[in-house]
Amino acid sequence: MALNKKLNRRNFLKAGAVAGSAAALAACAPPPAAAPGAPAAPDASAPTVAAAAPAAPAASTSTRPLSPTFYQWIYDLHPHIPELNKTLPNVKAEIAPTEGFGIERFVAETKNKESTWDVYVGMTPFVEMTQLISTGAIVPWDDYIPKDVLDDIIPSIREECSVNGKLYSWPFFLDITGSAWHSGITKAAGITKAPTTWDDVLTGAKAIIDSKAAPYGNVYDPQGWRSLAPMTHSMSTQVYTSEGRFDFNHDAAIEALILMKKLKDLGPANLLEAGASDGGVNSTPDEVAFAAEKAGFYFKYFNSPYRMAANWKDPNLLQIGAYPKFAGGEGSTVFWTTGACLFTYGQNKEAAAEYMKTLTYDKKIWQDSIAGTAAAHPVQLPVYTSIYKEWAASKPEWLPEAVNTISGQMPIAKAITNHLFGLKQFQLARPFYEKYLLGQETSEKTVMQQCMDAVTAELKKTA
Amino acid sequence: MAAISTRATRQSRLSASLQHWGNWVFLIPSAIFFLGYMIYPILRTLWLSFTDYRYLRQGPANFVGLQNFQYALSDPLVLIGLQRALQFTLVFLPGMIFLPLILAVMVDRVTVRGLATFYRVILLIPAVIPGPMIFVMWRLLYNYEIGPINYILVDVLGIFTKANAPQWVGNPSLVIPAVAVFQWWWGLGYHTMFFLAGLAAIPKDLYEAARIDGANEWQVFWGITIPRLRPIMAILVVLRFGTAMAVIDEYLLFGGFNRGLPTYTWTVYMYDLAFQTGEWLQGYAAAIGWLGAIGMLIITATLLYIFRNRDNN
Amino acid sequence: MQQTLRPPLRHAKPKVRLSTIARHLFINFFVLIILLPLAWILLLSVKSLPDAYSGRLWPEQFDFTHYNYVLTKIPGLSQNLSNSLIVTFGSVTLTCICAVLAGYALVHLRTPGKALVIGLCTATLFFPTRLLSLIPIYEIQRSLGLLNSSLALILPYVTLNLALSILTMRGIFEQIPGELVEASRMDGCTTWQTLFKVMLPLITNGLVVLIIINFVSAWGEYLFAATLTSDQSQRTLIVVLARAFGGVGQFSFPRLAAAYAMVILPGVLAFALAQRLYFKGLTEGAIKL
Repeated sequence: MALNKKLNRRNFLKAGAVAGSAAALAACAPPPAAAPGAPAAPDASAPTVAAAAPAAPAASTSTRPLSPTFYQWIYDLHPHIPELNKTLPNVKAEIAPTEGFGIERFVAETKNKESTWDVYVGMTPFVEMTQLISTGAIVPWDDYIPKDVLDDIIPSIREECSVNGKLYSWPFFLDITGSAWHSGITKAAGITKAPTTWDDVLTGAKAIIDSKAAPYGNVYDPQGWRSLAPMTHSMSTQVYTSEGRFDFNHDAAIEALILMKKLKDLGPANLLEAGASDGGVNSTPDEVAFAAEKAGFYFKYFNSPYRMAANWKDPNLLQIGAYPKFAGGEGSTVFWTTGACLFTYGQNKEAAAEYMKTLTYDKKIWQDSIAGTAAAHPVQLPVYTSIYKEWAASKPEWLPEAVNTISGQMPIAKAITNHLFGLKQFQLARPFYEKYLLGQETSEKTVMQQCMDAVTAELKKTA
Repeated sequence: MAAISTRATRQSRLSASLQHWGNWVFLIPSAIFFLGYMIYPILRTLWLSFTDYRYLRQGPANFVGLQNFQYALSDPLVLIGLQRALQFTLVFLPGMIFLPLILAVMVDRVTVRGLATFYRVILLIPAVIPGPMIFVMWRLLYNYEIGPINYILVDVLGIFTKANAPQWVGNPSLVIPAVAVFQWWWGLGYHTMFFLAGLAAIPKDLYEAARIDGANEWQVFWGITIPRLRPIMAILVVLRFGTAMAVIDEYLLFGGFNRGLPTYTWTVYMYDLAFQTGEWLQGYAAAIGWLGAIGMLIITATLLYIFRNRDNN
Repeated sequence: MQQTLRPPLRHAKPKVRLSTIARHLFINFFVLIILLPLAWILLLSVKSLPDAYSGRLWPEQFDFTHYNYVLTKIPGLSQNLSNSLIVTFGSVTLTCICAVLAGYALVHLRTPGKALVIGLCTATLFFPTRLLSLIPIYEIQRSLGLLNSSLALILPYVTLNLALSILTMRGIFEQIPGELVEASRMDGCTTWQTLFKVMLPLITNGLVVLIIINFVSAWGEYLFAATLTSDQSQRTLIVVLARAFGGVGQFSFPRLAAAYAMVILPGVLAFALAQRLYFKGLTEGAIKL
């Protein structure tokens, strides 16, 4: 063969050596140096982040219209937002290059002291906020957000979005983890009242399977921040270490893990399978099972059951309720918000604040979100006390009772503490707590210790 | 000989070799793209692997010599990651070579012209479908709840029940074969064409001579066909070895970032470190990437050596 | 063919032998394996939502609105389609030009350093280049001011298959006897004229192979397009479709299937039309790496 003739070992090595040295010279420039005088990266074990805000360029030199950028799913779930963007003068909105929560583009631009966009809508505090702050990519809103708006934010949300007392995320959408169920299935199983405790759930799920109303009594998303964390919170919320990490060894977390196993045994065999999109995070088996009308109860943040029920023969059979409690537990759950952050090297900061105010208070966005449109029915909620007061005073006709059930959880719900490994710690722990769920390990304490150690080991690499 | 003027020869040789260098004009367009978008980035990554570069950190990167490489060699996930990639490669390669080989031999014997063309076109359809589409399609096919494979196994044939149906994607022992199967599906036509071209190059009188000598089909196959196709097999094995070790997109789609799964190979680990975890240790990730690449190059060179052309053609 | 070369003792009329039937059965088994999954996807695209989630093979209720939904739900889809076409066409053209020139120089011209170039091309085939080069390529595009432009995607796309294309063209050029080059030189043609007047007509089939390989790569490329462009109007079709449905957004299988049918069918049809030339090109040595 022609190839074998020419490509004997000698030629190959010769080729490699010469080519390598030639281009090596070109590539030897060091990676871009950072801004001089920028504070050092935070010690990985410190919970707070050195507010790394370099002086932003002189405020009002604006060379472009306001340029917000949105995570794709926000456009998909809230179709009025792109419409609204088109009607606003001097606003140029784009989709963000952030699949799978990726923020590398923003960080790359920050290193070069520039920013294509002014605002990013789609940041979740416990996921990306710590990293964006530590690289100096974003600045707080405090100088720009009107005081009455700041005070209007529900207090626990304001705390979630703040670091060192400064608001880094302007919260937009509220997601709370709760219960949902297929009322056709629960009725067929003879369940008459909504579950309030986890024992109710276990009994009910078993009844569903025994009566053959559905193959699965319940489903839930086994990824830590969507199941382990809220189930732990329903026992106790004091489960974070002084550095802000989730304490897997805590009794509440161990109780939650035991519960997860019991629930899994009443659910699909493939519950622990990776999801089909976003690096395994979304399009998970629990969603498929619930959409296929094969499961009775569903425990996840509320917009998931609503989206899945849209595929049913009769979507009105969906019912929702508060997250179940442990007998004697705190009865809390997990919430998080998706919000907007302000780029350090972006422009139009005052305009950005006005824009966010317009967006977050817009009535049509909330109506579409809660009542649903032909395109989507996400049921993500607003974050302002005033809006809830308004609805309590004069209930709009499109507002379902369910909203009060959901928002009623807010006083007790708690966010996952912000940390550089806020989301990642659960992903690192997963292979270990999965062993317990699969019955490969019988000691909860052992696997939870392994979870803790795995996160510690990864943190060490950063040191 | 002595009559030829050496000065004239030297001059003509000089102008000839100038002209030869002038022929590089034809290679310049390729060279620009090659150097700019392939060689330079790769070498830049090599540079990174000698630093402690962290993407999310503000300070400049420091040169740390071989530290990243030392750390990588003692990092269990690197070794496990490479092993996992190797496992997939070993499962994948045989099917990728022998199946198309046999298919090619069969299709080659088809006498009806139109039918042969029909077969070739159908076989090549997967090759013209874009990669991401293939992956997601097969993810759907393997879906535990609503995929047709499990539907047939459970509801139609009743071999399994809902509780013990195979979890093609979820079960660690099944996911590697599952990925291998769809990779075979994807590449079947493409490789069959390779072999068909090779078969077409075998002179027919060789077969005739063998048959007249009384050889049966089996002996013809092993004695003539296989040796003649050996060079093509060699090329395919070596190329596919490389691509199989470097798979990443499929693993992200089938297994995500769960470190306990066999789909979490060294490539996924690299990506995880570089764009997902902590401070994005890109210097370290670059070192892992280069370690894996060098390991692959060594094995590739070995394979090429084993398969080198022994007969002087 | 074999039958006519058989010793005359056999029957002149070819009878259908058992082995022939077995052979066709074997081949058709694989034909089915290839076609069935595609058929299932097509069927999925016309199922109603509840049916799609039931796993049943044949739907109780058909729903043909998914195609319309995909086309109308995403404004600007036609812009994305034209972006894909432009980027693909541009990068395929450039790659072919580079590969033809390079193949010609490497085979029929005296070029110093041939072995080096070929060795380098081959070496990169074994290298996980995409993985290692994403961030540096991002840096390059940014410094050239080429971020967020679908046209600019053409540049990195050319390198996707450049090495393979050069080696393929080399194989094709090797099929052309050196005497032809000599003859045209003696006729007084320059190197360029030889290429255009003599070589080009002879390599068209090989070119078809090259075009198809590069077309498929460029059309379906995701990683670079997703990272290097951000404005919806600059994105390519595959990126928009994959992200519109693969993420947290509208997650419903029939719509996914409809989108895929629309993306796959044109490619398959175009291939079916061009296949004759494609196979000619393959047998003419496009495979002789």
